[in-house]
Amino acid sequence: MLIELLTERYPGMRAWLTQRLTGLVMAIYSIVALLRFFIIQPENYEAWVSFFQPIWWRIASLIFWLALSMHAWLGIRDVFKDYVPNYVVQRVLQNILVVLLWIYLAWVLWLLLV
Amino acid sequence: MQNNQPQNSQKVKLRPGQKNRPKNLNLFTIRLPINALVSILHRATGCILFLILPVILLLLQFSLSSAQSFESVVSILHSPFIKLMLLGLAWAFFHHFFAGIRHLAMDVHWMTTLMKARYTSKVVLVLGAIATLVLAIKLWL
Repeated sequence: MLIELLTERYPGMRAWLTQRLTGLVMAIYSIVALLRFFIIQPENYEAWVSFFQPIWWRIASLIFWLALSMHAWLGIRDVFKDYVPNYVVQRVLQNILVVLLWIYLAWVLWLLLV
Repeated sequence: MQNNQPQNSQKVKLRPGQKNRPKNLNLFTIRLPINALVSILHRATGCILFLILPVILLLLQFSLSSAQSFESVVSILHSPFIKLMLLGLAWAFFHHFFAGIRHLAMDVHWMTTLMKARYTSKVVLVLGAIATLVLAIKLWL
C-alpha cells in the first residue's frame, strides 16, 4: 500500500521520503563516527588503519556513502531546478552530478575494499 | 518590504504559468526572517559539503595508504590556515546537521507554529555555534 502510494498516487513523495530517510541514516552514522573517534582517538598510522579495519564499520561506512549519494543527488538536483532556468543546461548539470556521484561511490568502494 | 510589481499589473490579469508574470529578483528588497535564514543556510551548507567531497576522499585515501603519507596529511591539517578552513567546514556540517534534524521534526508536525519555528531556528543557530566553538577549543588548545 505504501509503495503504491509513493510511486503511483504521489510520485514526488518517494524523493521526499528518500531524502528524509537518507538524512536520518547519515545523522546516526555521524554521531557514531564522532563518538568512535573520540573514544579511540587514533594518533598514529596503525591506529588510523585499525579504525577502519572492523568489517561492521566498513559496511556502515558503505551504507553511509550510499545514503549520502542519494541525499546529495536529490539536494543538488533541487538546487539546479531552482536556479538554472535553461532546461538543457539543467539536464547537462544533472548528468554531470550523477556521473560524479557514481565516481565517488566507486572510489569509496575501492577505499573500503583495499 | 517594497512592492515592486509594475503598475499595470491590475489592468492585465495574469494566469499562473503565464510567461510575463512580474518577478521580484532584487534580493535587497527581501527581508529574511530567521526561519528563512536557517533554511537558506541549510541549502548553502549542503552545497558546500557536496563540493568538498572529493577533497575529503583524497585526504582519506592519502591518510590510509602509508605511514609516510599519513604523517604528511596530519602536518597539512595542522597548518593554521587549513585549520581555519576546517573549522568553517565543520560549522557547515554542524549547521546542516542541526537544521536537518529541525526539518525532520517539522515533517512529523513537531514545532510547526510560527513562534515555535522561530524559537527552534535560534536553537539551531546556537547549537551550530556551540559545536563549532567546542571544536575550535579542541583544535587550538
